[in-house]
Order: sequence, then structure tokens, then C-alpha cells
Amino acid sequence: MTQPATAPPAAKRSALPSLSTLGPLIALLLACIFFATQSDRFLTATTLSLVLKQISFVAVIAIGQTLVILTSGIDLSCGVIMALGSVVMTKFAVELGMPPLLAILCGLIITTAIGALNGVLITRLRLPPFIATLGMYGIIFAATQIYSNAQTVTNLPPALNFLGQTFNILGTPFTFGAVLMLLFGLAWFFLTQTAPGRHVYAVGNNPEAVRLSGIPTTRLLISVYAVAGLLYGIAALILVGRVGAGDPNAGQTENLESITAVVLGGTSLFGGRGNVLGTFLGALIVGVFRVGLTLSGVNSVYQILITGVLIILAVATDQFSRRKA
Amino acid sequence: MTLQSTPDQTSSRSSAPLVMEARGLVKRYGQVTAINGADFELRPGEILAVIGDNGAGKSSMIKALSGAVVPDEGQIFLDGQLVSFRSPIDARRQGIETVYQDLAVAPAMTIAENLFLGREILKAGPIAKLLRIVDKKKMHEEAVRHMQGLQFAIKSMSQPVETLSGGQRQGVAVARSAAFARHVVIMDEPTAALGVREGNMVLDLIRKVRDGGLPVILISHNMPHVFEIADRIHVHRMGQRAALLNPKKISMADTVSVMTGALKPEQLSADMLAH
Repeated sequence: MTQPATAPPAAKRSALPSLSTLGPLIALLLACIFFATQSDRFLTATTLSLVLKQISFVAVIAIGQTLVILTSGIDLSCGVIMALGSVVMTKFAVELGMPPLLAILCGLIITTAIGALNGVLITRLRLPPFIATLGMYGIIFAATQIYSNAQTVTNLPPALNFLGQTFNILGTPFTFGAVLMLLFGLAWFFLTQTAPGRHVYAVGNNPEAVRLSGIPTTRLLISVYAVAGLLYGIAALILVGRVGAGDPNAGQTENLESITAVVLGGTSLFGGRGNVLGTFLGALIVGVFRVGLTLSGVNSVYQILITGVLIILAVATDQFSRRKA
Repeated sequence: MTLQSTPDQTSSRSSAPLVMEARGLVKRYGQVTAINGADFELRPGEILAVIGDNGAGKSSMIKALSGAVVPDEGQIFLDGQLVSFRSPIDARRQGIETVYQDLAVAPAMTIAENLFLGREILKAGPIAKLLRIVDKKKMHEEAVRHMQGLQFAIKSMSQPVETLSGGQRQGVAVARSAAFARHVVIMDEPTAALGVREGNMVLDLIRKVRDGGLPVILISHNMPHVFEIADRIHVHRMGQRAALLNPKKISMADTVSVMTGALKPEQLSADMLAH
């Protein structure tokens, strides 16, 4: 009996999520068209490769950040965890003489454990995610500096660089593209097709409902932060491959950059709604603006300005659609 | 579990086994005694309303029955078997489902996903089981089937719950508990947050749950609602069961008097008391 009365608003509201998924795609296309008119070098495979390179490790971090934000959390320590991972992998291989694969494994274990520690602080000590990861940002940054004596680690064995080596697709050198696609594909599959993935959304929607339905929320949240840590470790591997060194000073702005990518991609900062493929688009938008503006000879300050405008637009759209819903 | 018709059972009280029974429950918080030797009984296929003034301890008792609180003393029986619940999850494993008043649904997720939250149907095959891949199609079909069984009119199971009205959302929560409860459904103020029409819609749904064979414990402050659907009324007062009333014989005003202590159960005529 209530059916006819509610049908029209239901139809109107359900159109909104598709708008938030299409939004980043439209923004990306508009940006590409704009930069193509500004520079004839923009629409080339080399530029595409450059964009992918530019966004490579931020995009991988942003996958982790997406998982965290979907649970209505936030991770400010992501970039410095990546930096620590890069130092651990390289130092273990160069100074301890570990086989490169083992050194990489150690690095991944450490970043995963730090991620899990974030999760423990948030669930067991009930710290707000912002505070817990802000504290960890300082701790991990300092620990990385102390452990490395603020020195970059160089003279790496070739095996550590393998993600920096290019492989050719259609005559264009791609390094990270394939790895990136694979990780985004896996994350998408996990979030949309598996029960734990759906619980990630549910816990961001209504943690109490999730707890009452018998899902172990503490374990779920710790796992999410741990997986995010693992992804920061993979980002560290890409970083090492790209710069050919373990860099203790890396990762200081990646927290905000990854959050920008997530938000531009249409994921709500309030949790429970969003799409990891949107995050890829969000990262691409940031990369396209960066490369496009450089090719057009625009001062790099404008890149920061435009990123700021974009992030406010994205969150405002999210807020607006929530108020209507 | 097969059921005889309800009128039959009310007349022959001793022959119908109790679905749930509690004897002498006690729960103390420091100096405060929240449950003071409370008894409780629930029969098959009935809607038992639990009423009581604020602070009478009814929610503490309900929490003990749903596993949210572990009583210090006393026993709880389910189908005549002694049980002890350490958590709501424990109680759920025994087939007791609770619907909470604060609309415990995940708004951005679909109706089907909410129905199956935490109990997703997985795809067949070892790899699918290992990766816990959900069978969205099957969940959707099951949701349609179940909602039709409750005559719950909703266009599509794949619309997000946030597109529903408050009453429909509560309906989803009720349907969810009805789908998975094997023994008892406990509803804590299911109509409190709703308007008149929406409240009636949820009442209809609760009746259908009962008619489907599940006994319902209904905690409510809303006297008209209680009198509309309850088969018996459990009045809670000062941490104990003060009386079991028959809503068909007693007036709403007398019920409130029993609840506040102005009227002693002994002063009531025998037919007003439920057996």
C-alpha cells in the first residue's frame, strides 16, 4: 500500500550513486580533452605511461586508503609506512646481505604488522582513526629517520629493482601499469564479490548493525588496516623500483594525495559508500592534471591549487547527495 | 516444529510446553539490583508483550534472555533445556533473534544484502567457499521469496535500504530476524521510531511472523499497540514479573495501574489474569 507513494523518490535517489560513479569519469575525460587542446604531446602513449609512473605508488597506497575510508576510518600514516618499508627492504638486502626476495618479504611483513597495529589502536584502545594514525605518522617517520640515519640506501642488487624495469606493450614502455591493474582488479573483486568485502562496506555504514549481526568487527577492522599496510609495502617496492633507492624522506605527502584520489573517485569520507575503481580514476585525474599542466608549461603551484579545488568539489558533491538521500 | 492453533493452547496451559522459560533471574550492578528474581515464560506461537515503567528492569531482563547480559543467578530454559548465553551471538546460535529499536540496518546496502548480513549465501565450489564469494543472485531470489511470504511490498530487493521509509526499514529488520530465528524473535520497541501508518505496517508484519509459527517477545511502551497484537502481557515491576495479564479482559487503564503499582494483581478478577 505504501508502494506507490515511495516509488518516485526511490527512483530519484537511486540515480545519485550512478552520478557519483560517473562524475570522476566525466572529470577525467574533460581534463584529457582540455590538455589535448593545450599540448599536442598530451595524447600520446608516452604521456600515458608518464601519468601511470607519476601516480604509481600513490595509486597503490590509495587502494589501502580506500579500504580504510570505506570502514569510515582514515589513515594518515600510509606514506611514512611506505618509506619505512623501502628502507627496510633495501637496508636488509644491502647491509645485512639478505637475498633480495627475503628482504622484500621482511619489508612487507613489517608494513603489514604496522598496519595491524593501527587497527589494534583503533579497535582495542578505541582511538579515533585520525588520532591513532596521526600518532603513528610521527612515530614511523622518526623511526625511519633513526634507523636509516636519514640516509638513502643505494647500491641495490638488481632483483630489488624489478618493478622499476620496464616492459614493452605496443612499443610503449610500461612499468607499473600491469601491477597496478592487477591490484585494483583484486581489490574490486574482494570488495564487491566476497562476504568480507561486503562487511567492509557494512561496517562503514553501521558498525553497530554489523556487530549485532554476529560479524567480528574488531577482527575485520584490524584485518583492513593490516591489508592496507601490506599495500603500503607493495607501494614501497614500486618506490624502490622507481627511484632505485630506499628513501627515508619519501611518503610525507602521500597521505593527503591518497585521500585526494579516494575522494575524487567518489568514495565517501564518511564511509560505507564508494568504489575502488573510482579511486583509480581519482588517481588518474591527479596524475593527468600534474602531467598536463607541466606539458602546458603552467607553474606547478597551480597543480596544488587545482587539486585543492577538486577535492572540495568532490566532498561537496558527496555531502549534497547524502543530504538528499 | 509444528504448531497447534493458538486458541487451543491458551485453554490447556499445562499441556503446551514452554518455548522459553526463566526462573529467579538476578542481576546486580553494585548496589543496584536490576533483575530481582524475575520469572518469565513464553509459549509457542504467541505474541507476549513485556511492559513496565522506566527503570522497572524490563530491558535488563530482555538482555538476559537475548544474551546481552549474563545474569548473576537464575536459570533460562529453551524448549525445556537449560541454556546459558555468554553473548548475543550465543543466543543467536540457539535460534533467538533480536530486532533493536534503532533501525539496525546498513543504509547504503541493498535489502537483500541487509537480510543476509553476516550470513551471506556463498557460491558453490571449494574456491568460492575459500574466498567467500557471495552468490548475489541466490541471495536476491531468497530475499524476494521471503519478503513475499511476509507480504512485504517492496519493488526491488536490490535497492539500497536508505531509499526506504522508516517503517519499511524496520520491516527489513523484522523480516531479517524472522528469516533466521528458529525459536524466538525478540523485538525491542520496534515501532517507537515510527509514525502511525508505519507502526501499523510493522505490527502487521509481527503478526505474520507469529502466524508463521514463531513466538514473539514484544517490548513496547505503546499501549494501543500492545493491546492490538499481544496474546498475553507480562507486566514488569521493580525487577520482577508483577503479573501476567489477559489483554482481552483487562482494560488499558487497569493495566497501567498494575504497571505503576496502584493496583495489586490480587485485586484483579481471575479472568483478567493470563495463565
